[in-house]
Amino acid sequence: MKGASLKVEHLSKIYPDGTVALRDVSFEVAPGQFVVIIGLSGSGKSTLMRCINRLIEPTSGKVYIDDIDITALSVAEMRRLRRSIGMIFQQFNLVKRSSVLTNVLSGRLGYLPPWWSLINHFPRDEVDRAMANLRRVGIPEKARTRADQLSGGQQQRVGIARALMQEPRLILADEPVASLDPATSHSVLRYLEELNKKDGITVLCALHFLSLARRYGSRILALKAGQLVYQGVPADIDERRFKEIYGEDAVEVEIT
Amino acid sequence: MTPEVAPARATVLQPRPWFASTKFLLLVFGLLAVYAYGWRVTKIDLPELLKGTKFVRPFVVDLVRPDVVSRDVQIQEVQLGMSVNAAVAPEDVAPPASGPQLSVPTRVTAVGAQLQVTGRGFRPNGSGTLFWVNPIGNPQQVGTFHTDATGAFAVTITVPEVFRGPESGPRGAQQRLLARVTWETGPLRPSKTLLLVGEKIIETVFLALMGTTIAIVAAIPLSFLGAKNLTAKNPLGTTIYFFTRTFFNVTRSIEPLILAIVFTVWVGLGPFAGVLALALHSVAVLGKLYSEQIESIDPGPIEAIAATGASPLQVVRYAVVPQIVPPFIAFTIYRWDTNVRMSTVIGFVGGGGVGFILQQYINLLQYRQAATAVWAITLVVAALDYLSAVVRERVV
Repeated sequence: MKGASLKVEHLSKIYPDGTVALRDVSFEVAPGQFVVIIGLSGSGKSTLMRCINRLIEPTSGKVYIDDIDITALSVAEMRRLRRSIGMIFQQFNLVKRSSVLTNVLSGRLGYLPPWWSLINHFPRDEVDRAMANLRRVGIPEKARTRADQLSGGQQQRVGIARALMQEPRLILADEPVASLDPATSHSVLRYLEELNKKDGITVLCALHFLSLARRYGSRILALKAGQLVYQGVPADIDERRFKEIYGEDAVEVEIT
Repeated sequence: MTPEVAPARATVLQPRPWFASTKFLLLVFGLLAVYAYGWRVTKIDLPELLKGTKFVRPFVVDLVRPDVVSRDVQIQEVQLGMSVNAAVAPEDVAPPASGPQLSVPTRVTAVGAQLQVTGRGFRPNGSGTLFWVNPIGNPQQVGTFHTDATGAFAVTITVPEVFRGPESGPRGAQQRLLARVTWETGPLRPSKTLLLVGEKIIETVFLALMGTTIAIVAAIPLSFLGAKNLTAKNPLGTTIYFFTRTFFNVTRSIEPLILAIVFTVWVGLGPFAGVLALALHSVAVLGKLYSEQIESIDPGPIEAIAATGASPLQVVRYAVVPQIVPPFIAFTIYRWDTNVRMSTVIGFVGGGGVGFILQQYINLLQYRQAATAVWAITLVVAALDYLSAVVRERVV
């Protein structure tokens, strides 16, 4: 399984209330890269992520995944394509009252016949696949637990297992560790790093902390007020660049 | 110099204390006016509470001795022919020689005369009643007695003036004296009242169940129309949302009791009218609760499931349904519980259920029977209340 390539061209998003969330953003991601997007809250990171799998319709511009223009796809075609794009969220977005196993299995829904899955019946091999993915993120014993009984870090690992069920070639991680403590943040990011290194999945990950971005990213994109203000390798972000991205008053906080 | 000036300035700047401010005084005055009018308009009359105790006492007393069990009743009865006109001979009615005997000094007497009645051979240590029976068979109680260990009694009565039937001829003067001793025998059995109340309580619970069920069926689709986040996405949807919500709010504000009156006119007296009244009111209440629940669901899982490439139907099944089903169940059970309570009073206006017989018992001053119904309602409502609390705790 090879990671997908991603190309964004002149992408803009203006919300109905007039807010300009993205302004002419263009960049390319090669297959198998781990790209970190940094920027302040409200700089457009989440909107960018959601324009890539069209949970939000872009106002203008093009997004290519493996040279397919996804902005031109029909709703049904887009749904098929979404199967190979995993997404991980800041608030985990698990169904809290359902079991961990059901949450993981729900990542597979796009592949299953629609009617069969409506009665909560999953084929044996899909359950096995879910258990294998839970083992991979280290919590197979929690399969029957209700999702809201888990700690934050465990819930995010369920989120990763759910994305893995899609057999994704691209993972969009929208601030996956912003709700977690530093130690847990590292353990979650290491899982993403492993998927990137071992499986070659392309990862696009929004992060708050520059230290985490430096540690995990092979490339960094910086957004400021909807515009791409920097792209390059982590090592090149010095004091001056940092102040450009985060504003004059910002002081870098280390997270180790 | 400064210390002497300072106090003067301080008094000038000193604001009036809070209780002397115009705002506060106006508020106090306004509240006084409101409550004074309220006291008058609701005719609050506290001494009446004391004066009325003698009227309510029989009801309160009977509340602690509801009519729940009974025994078979044995009756011992003896009649004696009498006359209240010296010119008319009494009927030849006398007790058989073998049974209990009833005797009076004279069988020809007059209205208003004192009469010493003695009896013997009755059930020992029993209690009984003496009746004066007119020519058309209507008894009038004239005295009570207790028999001694040998089954004898003696009691003085006053011969009453009784209705003598259509013709006031000589036959009208032929009247009877009746002595009746009753006692209970055999094992305790559920009384007729208890059986009837039980039957009506079951009707009440099912009345509430049917009303609630009909309401669920109607409220679920309506609640989706009344959920802002799902429906109000375009002008048409906003209109539908507005009308649904208005329907909920208007219907909800009409008491089920009033709806029941309307439905008894429509479909006649009986539980069906009650079912319809409860159903209509519950549609509005459940619809509003459901749609508020739908509005408050977490959009995160919806986004997450949609991002996996699931179909809209799968998104509803895996992201929406798990979030709304438990609160729906909790609301519904609570509603059923409320409906059982309401259906007990719906009978008061003819909507069926236990309220109907409760009202009759109260009107007929049969307070012991009324007490049976009151206790049955209390027990059933409390039991369902507890049950629904347990279930809701499990589900949510």
